[in-house]
Amino acid sequence: MRVTKCVVTAQDSEVLPSDIAMKMYESGREINVKETCFGVIIDGEEEDVEEIMNEIRAMDPNNIFVKDRGFPPGDPRRCRGHRGGGARPGFYMLEHESAMLPLISQGLASEERGEEPALAEEKKHLSEGRLEEIIEEEFS
Amino acid sequence: MAKVMVYPPTSMILADLVERMGHEALVISKEVRKKVTTPGLDSPPLNMTAEDPKKGLKYAAVDVPSGVRGRMSLLGPMIEEANAAIVIKDNACTLGCTGCARTNELTRLLLRTKRIPLLELDYPKDEGEAKRFVHEIHQFLEELE
Amino acid sequence: MIRIAQLSCGPEYSGVQKELETAAEMVGAKLIFPEVSLEDIKNVEESFGVEVASGDLNLAMARATRIVENPDLADAVFVATCFRCAEGAIVRSEIRKFIHENSAIPVLSYSFTERTTADTLLTRMEALVTTAKYKGLLSRERQTGLTAGIDSGSTTTKSVIMRDNEVIGTGWVPTTEVLKSAEEAYDAALKEAGVKKEEIEGLGTTGYGRHLVGKHFGAKLIQEEITVNSKGAVFLADAQKGPATVIDIGGMDNKAISVQDGIPGTFTMGGICAGASGRFLELSAKRLGVDITELGKLALKGDHTKVPMNSYCIVFGTQSLVNSLSAGSKPEDVAMAACHSVAEQVFEQQLQEVEVKEPVIMVGGTSLIEGLPRAMEQLLGIDVIVPHHSQFIGCVGASLLVSGLVED
Repeated sequence: MRVTKCVVTAQDSEVLPSDIAMKMYESGREINVKETCFGVIIDGEEEDVEEIMNEIRAMDPNNIFVKDRGFPPGDPRRCRGHRGGGARPGFYMLEHESAMLPLISQGLASEERGEEPALAEEKKHLSEGRLEEIIEEEFS
Repeated sequence: MAKVMVYPPTSMILADLVERMGHEALVISKEVRKKVTTPGLDSPPLNMTAEDPKKGLKYAAVDVPSGVRGRMSLLGPMIEEANAAIVIKDNACTLGCTGCARTNELTRLLLRTKRIPLLELDYPKDEGEAKRFVHEIHQFLEELE
Repeated sequence: MIRIAQLSCGPEYSGVQKELETAAEMVGAKLIFPEVSLEDIKNVEESFGVEVASGDLNLAMARATRIVENPDLADAVFVATCFRCAEGAIVRSEIRKFIHENSAIPVLSYSFTERTTADTLLTRMEALVTTAKYKGLLSRERQTGLTAGIDSGSTTTKSVIMRDNEVIGTGWVPTTEVLKSAEEAYDAALKEAGVKKEEIEGLGTTGYGRHLVGKHFGAKLIQEEITVNSKGAVFLADAQKGPATVIDIGGMDNKAISVQDGIPGTFTMGGICAGASGRFLELSAKRLGVDITELGKLALKGDHTKVPMNSYCIVFGTQSLVNSLSAGSKPEDVAMAACHSVAEQVFEQQLQEVEVKEPVIMVGGTSLIEGLPRAMEQLLGIDVIVPHHSQFIGCVGASLLVSGLVED
């Protein structure tokens, strides 16, 4: 079965989409590669894609992320140029999560180092008495 | 190896974390792939037809809007297959397959009542939260093995 | 190519997106999806006024804002959400109002089910494209020369002949076989007018059978009944300046159209069930043992408050009718309740979707059933005008508009 994946690099990664594309070409596998603003879209037979994914991840494990995609690349049913314009819904989600990737990378790096994350600061509820004081201060 | 449904089922972050830790992520793109690569169907964009909301009747009654039942025809089989789930509670940027709040609510309900291992968290907003986010997911997935 | 911006939630998952695109294609239009950024979607609370739980509805509102800021993006707007979704219905209504108040772009609002087909949408799409494309033709106020109109309806076929802005002949027959009925009605109108078919400079057709009849007679204008009927209505009611609201309750469906300076604008077309149309009144007249032409006069003598009746569904409406008669209710009260019930359905379903502005003009064959306009007046609290020839508004509108093509 042919599958399509988006390979997305976090902003802090030193690996460029072109580096990923190059690695794909060098692998000699029958995989189509297309560079995009977020990274690279690849499609090919499932086994080939699974294998190359491990090699790609190894280039920068904490900064490279993989997303599965239902449509083949350039499919006119999801192409801005063909479907009367407008981004596909998946694009917005990709944009939304991409902005968070630097944080996730930090999380992964921390896990790699075996760090135990600090507990969240417990937010204390304001006492009624203190709220009354604040109100009085404001209106005096 | 567990089959872990991610919610939102469009989340790259969750799916990636699940897969890199050796499990199978159940994502909606796999259902979409089945639909759009089926030969003989021509109903763009997703090759969904009036039959799909009918399939969705398994999860929602006939007086529930067709868009809910259509989306459930994609999500339902994923929920059935899942033996664990990770759910992000804050629903920013849910569009398309996750663009209907009623469908999303029903999905979360069905995952919860299935009584499978379930991890719920929020997207991280700073470094501290991100470390806890990744750590909790890591521990959860390790325990699934 | 008319560009219709699609603002929707759910059609792709209901399996009807292809039907929407086919309907647009059939009327020479293309559905487009105005570009918005992720920021636009996230800011919808500020730019539009609310952010709702369903993301696709937020996307639709973001697109609406974009269109209002850049009216060149689209010629018309089609807002569509799933039937029975409250969140969708509220947002759809607000989007329609927002675009109407902030631009001159015509908007069509629709709620679909998985059973919606291109044919269901065709008349509405056609009307939307007409209001976007033919403003010049629709602004015509006078009929000139010798022209004719045929309205091939589901229940009756009507025809008029007009000369120099006056109706000089009419024809009205029940619709049996479409072409045969059209010939009969047309011949009757020509006979009354004292003119021959060959002398007619231009023919316009409308109604369900407009394509078949138009092709048969070589009509110069084949136009759907939403724009044509509203045009005929404001012409006959002499309301071509300023606002007007046209309510057309036909044999099988109903329409409400907002008109401004003689040009039709926002419209809704309904008939979830024939309980909101002439069909229910026909059934009531039969059950009451009176001719449909007498039902109105009977109703005027009655008091609807004495007979509870709701014809949201024609089956339940008929049940109420039968029950009330067996309980000893007076025929005139039952007749008025039937009229009130039909008016109420139109009031609740259609008249919440258009701005109701005076004068309110009721047309269509049902407007001759006196109890119905009276019931509508009671519901709206506004006077209702039923112009002379109100049952011929379709053919009058067609005859008036085709005279514009003849001149050219």
